[in-house]
Amino acid sequence: MTKHIETNDTWQIGGKTLSSRLLIGSALYPSPANMEDAIRISGAQIVTVSLRRQAAGEGGGNPFWDIIKSLGIEVLPNTAGSHSAKEAITTAQMAREVFGTNWVKLEVIGDQYNLQPDPFETVKAAEVLIKEGFEVFPYTTDDLVVAKRLADVGCKIIMPWGSMIGSGKGLMNPDNLVAIRKQFPDLQLVVDAGIGKPSHAAQAMELGYDGVLLNSAIALAQDPVKMADAFRLAVEAGRLGYEAGVMKEREFASPSTPTVGTPFWHQFN
Amino acid sequence: MIKVSVNGEVKELEENLNVSQMIDALEYKVKGFAVAVNTTFVPIAKYDQTIIKEGDTIDILAPVQGG
Repeated sequence: MTKHIETNDTWQIGGKTLSSRLLIGSALYPSPANMEDAIRISGAQIVTVSLRRQAAGEGGGNPFWDIIKSLGIEVLPNTAGSHSAKEAITTAQMAREVFGTNWVKLEVIGDQYNLQPDPFETVKAAEVLIKEGFEVFPYTTDDLVVAKRLADVGCKIIMPWGSMIGSGKGLMNPDNLVAIRKQFPDLQLVVDAGIGKPSHAAQAMELGYDGVLLNSAIALAQDPVKMADAFRLAVEAGRLGYEAGVMKEREFASPSTPTVGTPFWHQFN
Repeated sequence: MIKVSVNGEVKELEENLNVSQMIDALEYKVKGFAVAVNTTFVPIAKYDQTIIKEGDTIDILAPVQGG
């Protein structure tokens, strides 16, 4: 008897063919070793990284970057900390040189309270970066019109938030995410931010999203490595559920056991 | 000598240094960083022709953890 369905599931994003649909961040882990173990067990093939000011001096190299390189997976530099298109563009250009990739997670923050992306500056930056040959992974809200604007300027990937960065609140507006999925069947869509537990990731995948990107939910778990494994399974389960075709919801109860031939009891009319 | 801001700190440099010479003067010895002058990226290919001037703001960025 077959124990598991063999899916051989792969997808294309940013010109690469990958088998894992989990994108994982590299921040906030208790230790570099814990980060490395969590990323490895998650099976993620894309890891997000960033750039910050570096002090002068000899130092001991860059142990963080050495670990990431040793993982042999794709790096997705972000523009976190940017508050304008100009800042994001400069950061992306610097990241391309440092990390040797034309991929960039475009993140332009518009509000310090909820870290909501600035849609106007994000679209402006995306347009410039695409013309400069970047593969732009824009982090945005779950606003359909913003998604349209990003697609209009050439984004092949769109990453709407589930909810606020680091909040762990899950998918605030699943209907909005569904609308974006329906409007853009040919784009790669990734839910980014707000994922707090594996069931949130599974839900995003069941909605037909191509992937999920998360960081805090794993890094801040009591056992990040075990949680990374849980997310690996959740993303796979959600994708399998989507491919299997989720049943339609019904307004009323409907018995799953046949009613014909019911013994003893009266049937309802 | 001129005064510039390097990663938010005021530094004194000799006049007419290019970016390569500035990096040496500041003793940045670990490779794998990128440079911006006045918030504009300076690629490695343009280090030698980009001259640092009085009051310039220089950012030198390196890989860190990110989400």
